[in-house]
Amino acid sequence: MPSRYLPMFEWLDYDFMVRALAATLVLSFSVAPVGAFLVLRRLSLAGEAMAHAIVPGIVIGFVVAGLSVGSMIVGGLSAGILVAVLTSLLARMTIIREDASLASLYLIALALGIFILSAAGSAVPLKSFLFGSILGIDDETLILIGATATITLVSFAVLLRPLIINTIDPVFYESQSKYPGLVTQWFMLLVVLNLLGAFKALGTLMAVGLMILPATAARYWVSTITSYLLLTFVFALASCWVGLIVSFYLPEVPSGPAIVLVAGVIFFISLVFAHQGFHVGARLKPSRRKTASDERENAKKGENAYEKTV
Amino acid sequence: MKPAILSAAGLTLGYGGVPLVRDVAFELAPGDVFAVVGHNGSGKSTLIKTILGTLPAVSGQLNWPQGRPEPIAYLGQQTEFDRRFPIRVCDLAAMGAWSRLGLAGRIDAACKARIQAALERTGTAEIADMPLYKLSAGQLQRALFARTMVQNASLILLDEPFAAVDQTTEAALLSLIDEWAGEGRTLILVLHDLTAVLEHCTSALLVGDGRTRFGAPRQTLTPANLVALKYMSESQAAWIEAMYAKPVSAHV
Repeated sequence: MPSRYLPMFEWLDYDFMVRALAATLVLSFSVAPVGAFLVLRRLSLAGEAMAHAIVPGIVIGFVVAGLSVGSMIVGGLSAGILVAVLTSLLARMTIIREDASLASLYLIALALGIFILSAAGSAVPLKSFLFGSILGIDDETLILIGATATITLVSFAVLLRPLIINTIDPVFYESQSKYPGLVTQWFMLLVVLNLLGAFKALGTLMAVGLMILPATAARYWVSTITSYLLLTFVFALASCWVGLIVSFYLPEVPSGPAIVLVAGVIFFISLVFAHQGFHVGARLKPSRRKTASDERENAKKGENAYEKTV
Repeated sequence: MKPAILSAAGLTLGYGGVPLVRDVAFELAPGDVFAVVGHNGSGKSTLIKTILGTLPAVSGQLNWPQGRPEPIAYLGQQTEFDRRFPIRVCDLAAMGAWSRLGLAGRIDAACKARIQAALERTGTAEIADMPLYKLSAGQLQRALFARTMVQNASLILLDEPFAAVDQTTEAALLSLIDEWAGEGRTLILVLHDLTAVLEHCTSALLVGDGRTRFGAPRQTLTPANLVALKYMSESQAAWIEAMYAKPVSAHV
């Protein structure tokens, strides 16, 4: 079939590619703010654990109710809530801390999920379930991604202020808020929802990579929250599109690892060259991100300020 | 005597229904600078949380004769503060307007002017565009005082505001506290610096050993009380005697 486009854009001839590119564009809008706040709230590992913990829920949904987006959402959301509740219960009622109980639960959950999936002889090929497939993006998945992005972006429009304040200064936030727990819980719900949205393109093992890697890479470059959210989106989108094209030319490679590897390349480039990465890293003590010249400059400004104040 | 805005009598404080301090009694009027003094774990922060409403009292209640003011300004200890978050000093100060702005309220010209005035008064206007991670402990505390100022509250709670700052910063911030009191705001301070309590506070609550004493600082923080409520040992109390011999230098 002769291409309507230039040879290097031949993938635009294929409907499934156009679909995948559109899906990941919308997905990037959605996972970028969620990933950014996972990183800012130091929940990167909790997000990773959550991604694996909801696998058995999805698998049981598939086995019981068949392969549909509906069964995936119901199974995934219930598993996510169950794991979140169990984790905080274990952390509160036993000597094991939250990270260890989360790690234990998600390992059990992941093993259980794969066990059921294999034992039930489900129609889902294990490889595309775990690592994603660009062929898997059907109409239902497009609607799921669109709905996820809508809910996420509206939520962020409403919750951005409380979420920022809660992240910087939780004690102050609690003192000024009427419903202090609500923001945290709603945010975790958005995390689960976005993981479900990302599953088809990236697979259950790789979905969280699209949240964490662009957000971590972007953090090396910026110092304001607005630019941070924007750059996280750009990095997420670039990872998706380049990853999908790689996956198109190498059909044996599932889309998930291809996308996450591109995100990894962006991460390492940022790490080496960004002014808040190794660029200044060599001159900083790892514990306090401050240079000697900053210190002197600050001291000078501080003195001027005292003269004005006192 | 001015009418009280907050009082308590026979109040019992604690966590999860377990009493920590019994029979708390005090009364505050507008313009009062109220010091809460006590040993670690005595229940000072428990009192602050109860006043903020984030912790229920075990028994008894706080009385707000003129209604509970909204918002109550609060500056806590920085144990859970995340200074790596990518925002600038001026954004931190603007956070003080949040309880009035809500989820989507616009920062209008009047609000901007108040933020700018707070930055200038606390000496942080020159570092307004600096990200938080570059600040020294003193600069951060002054930025947080700017946020407190932007809250523009009639009741201000400060929990160990000088724990991490040097003497110069402490002096600058204390003068700000005097100014707020002069504007008729009521301040509640958790302090360990007894000199600051004697020179800047109008009343004091000594908390310790599950009990409290309330009154004017000089009558409350006596060496005998400080030893009885386990704030210091008898040998440490000796230098307090010497301090009381000095004349009072500040307002009261």
